[in-house]
Amino acid sequence: MPDAAASLSVSVWRGGPEAGAFRSFDVPALKNQTVLDVVAWIQRNAEPTLSYRFACRVGMCGSCAMMVNGQPRWTCRTHVRKVAEDGRLEIAPLRNLPVIKDLAVDMDPFFDKWVKAEGVFHSSTDRAADIAPVRPSTPARVAADAGIECINCAVCYAACDSVAANPDYLGPAALNRAWTLLNDAKDSGRVAILDAVSRPGGCTSCHSQGSCERFCPNELSPLTSIAGLKREAAWRFLRKES
Amino acid sequence: MGRRPALHRHDTDILIIGTGGAGMFAALHAQQSAPEGTRITIAVKGLIGKCGCTRMVQGGYNVALGPGDSVERHFMDTIEGGKWLPNQEMAWKLCEQAVVRVRELENEIGCFFDRNADGTLHHKAFAGQTADRTVHKGDLTGIEIINRLMEQVLARPVEKLQEHRAIGLVPTRDGTALAGVLFIDMRSGDFRFVRAKAVLMATGGGPTMYKYHTPSGDKTMDGLAMALRAGLPLRDMEMVQFHPTGLLAGPGTKMTGTVLEEGLRGAGGHLLNTRGERFMYQFDKRGERATRDVVSRGIYAAMRQSNAGEEGAVFISMSHLGPENVRQKFKGMVKRCADSGFDLAGDKVAVVPTAHYFMGGVVVDADTRTALEGLYVAGEDAGGAHGSNRLGGNGVANSTVYGGVAGDVMGGDIRNITALRDPDETVLEAEIERAIHPLGRKPSLIHPLQDRLQEAMWDHVGVMRTKIGMERGLAKIADVSQELMEGGVAPDNLAFNLTWHDWLNLRSLCDVSEVITRAGLARENSRGAHYREDFPEAGELDSSYFTIAQMRSDQIEVDREAVRFTIVRPGQTILPEGEPATLVEAAE
Repeated sequence: MPDAAASLSVSVWRGGPEAGAFRSFDVPALKNQTVLDVVAWIQRNAEPTLSYRFACRVGMCGSCAMMVNGQPRWTCRTHVRKVAEDGRLEIAPLRNLPVIKDLAVDMDPFFDKWVKAEGVFHSSTDRAADIAPVRPSTPARVAADAGIECINCAVCYAACDSVAANPDYLGPAALNRAWTLLNDAKDSGRVAILDAVSRPGGCTSCHSQGSCERFCPNELSPLTSIAGLKREAAWRFLRKES
Repeated sequence: MGRRPALHRHDTDILIIGTGGAGMFAALHAQQSAPEGTRITIAVKGLIGKCGCTRMVQGGYNVALGPGDSVERHFMDTIEGGKWLPNQEMAWKLCEQAVVRVRELENEIGCFFDRNADGTLHHKAFAGQTADRTVHKGDLTGIEIINRLMEQVLARPVEKLQEHRAIGLVPTRDGTALAGVLFIDMRSGDFRFVRAKAVLMATGGGPTMYKYHTPSGDKTMDGLAMALRAGLPLRDMEMVQFHPTGLLAGPGTKMTGTVLEEGLRGAGGHLLNTRGERFMYQFDKRGERATRDVVSRGIYAAMRQSNAGEEGAVFISMSHLGPENVRQKFKGMVKRCADSGFDLAGDKVAVVPTAHYFMGGVVVDADTRTALEGLYVAGEDAGGAHGSNRLGGNGVANSTVYGGVAGDVMGGDIRNITALRDPDETVLEAEIERAIHPLGRKPSLIHPLQDRLQEAMWDHVGVMRTKIGMERGLAKIADVSQELMEGGVAPDNLAFNLTWHDWLNLRSLCDVSEVITRAGLARENSRGAHYREDFPEAGELDSSYFTIAQMRSDQIEVDREAVRFTIVRPGQTILPEGEPATLVEAAE
């Protein structure tokens, strides 16, 4: 039997879209244990109807993000040691997205905005053509590479107060993707992208609070990408005016 | 039991199951090739593009676009790597179409693979290949491919059924064709039967019935279990590829089994035994740089010799290369290990061979057609392209090439199919009964049973096999299987009920584990990933056979079929005369 010192006191959100409450569980502590392992232990051993989502287990798919002690995190790559406060954990569904059940959220609004931000490659050639030579050292490619390793886990989206305040705001991940495309020498959607990010809810809805950058598990900076979009959108506006 | 879940019925024209490289390419190609107005539906066990294994590809994508390389050379490497078991027509199309698919990924889908300084595509070396031909995006190639495909699919008018788990292939009354597929809508817990004129099964393989495994947690061989029940022939089912270096973080954590990348050994990483000695040179003159199967067996042997317990047996050590250098060169891996509590750059990390990829699958032709009209199979669910072993970099090539082929073929075939087919309602009902079986029984813990299955497969049907061991494995699988049927799941709330799905997952894993074991018993030699301690020789290449497993009146039967050398025979090559055997300079 695990003694008090070797167990975690875990408070987990249970409920549907409308109502819910935290419920407490004692979970045996292990030397190697992630927050996802804790959630899985509860479902397997104590609360068989607990709902949550995960897939890859290693920080590649971005399915398992949750609020852990109030902060959005990949649960698969968060060691309990790093976040438990006096052996206590509070686990809740990701902020700013509708709850399906318990710890599983509906990610569709996040992806709808990704598409709405024109975060989809605009092709100008086809599979019969050779692969375009692009020097990796060009400033545009360097800028695109800086943002490209996003795995769409929605941690930044959950961390963002601007999203919380304005449900129409496209959010950091979608705008970051738009910025990588704007810097992609192969992409032909420049006008469409700038149109999309200049609309209400676009890049100017960002208030530069920087939570996206602070919480991104991949250490990306959507804030920098959004600043780039704001600059490009302003330039275009000025050129149109003159 | 409580309420029986409702059954909803739905119709479409083309149904695709899975959103890995195969499923998403199929959706895009079907849209291009099918007549206007064709309804296309894509269903997935998790979220679109987020579950499955294409996303987890680290190494890259083999394509004969590098200097001096050719489709012929890629093909010969694939055949040699598969130890002459591949279906040669499939292997040829894989290599030939990979060239088209990579251009499509770059030019139409929007992927950006790493470039050389002059802007041309970078090709890296991968073990077991005679040319540098692996294009990649750092060591996160799969993320780049799947993110870009996902955007394309999300932006198109394709019907999306997310968190819909396929549980049964339902044929017509006369059994000659597929009528549709039964799903559980996981969010509601209801059943949904979807009729379609053409169905692509691309659920991915993923041998997660082993104690140590790399695939995504949603992978439980549901596709092959469904195909087995539908009576389809499955080939090469004994062929399970182990990756030599899985992270060993102890029981109770999902981190255990996840991959420490191939490049660590390539860069000069050492494998050490309990006494801190390098041991791989006992097994191969290439030491740690030998191919995956050889290194896996070396580690497994070292583990058996050790009495320090599995976690103290074998380690990977990088620190002699300079911790700072390691930290820089393998940034992602070092960070992943650090998040899990291990110092890869400065300390040694315990490793274990881990089940990685399944070469076996449904028998298909090079157009992805199966023995059942209306059913197409691509990606890891399909057998034949890799034979007994898959080259690193050929997995994502296979799924994307054949997913696209399936989309093209289905889009054409449905022009000749005028109406949807009606299902055999008896089969439909039997599949529902099968799924609700645990709901009427006293709830019990499922996970201990899964642990037992995974122990049995690792111990008896793993890296090294014997007849006696596999027979013991069969008995243990049967025990777990029977106890599972006696176990129950509380039926009161089936919405997003992971415990019900754990039961169904384990059901699929038990079924396919039995097939793997029986196929392993049927192959009395050692080829590629399959190693028999009691039959260590490879056998005559000229009389190579592959295994075919099929369910006949509730019994799994395994036959052998001769490999047809339709393009090249053992001992011969299709490389032009005078071509060097390899374009890669010796690594040593």
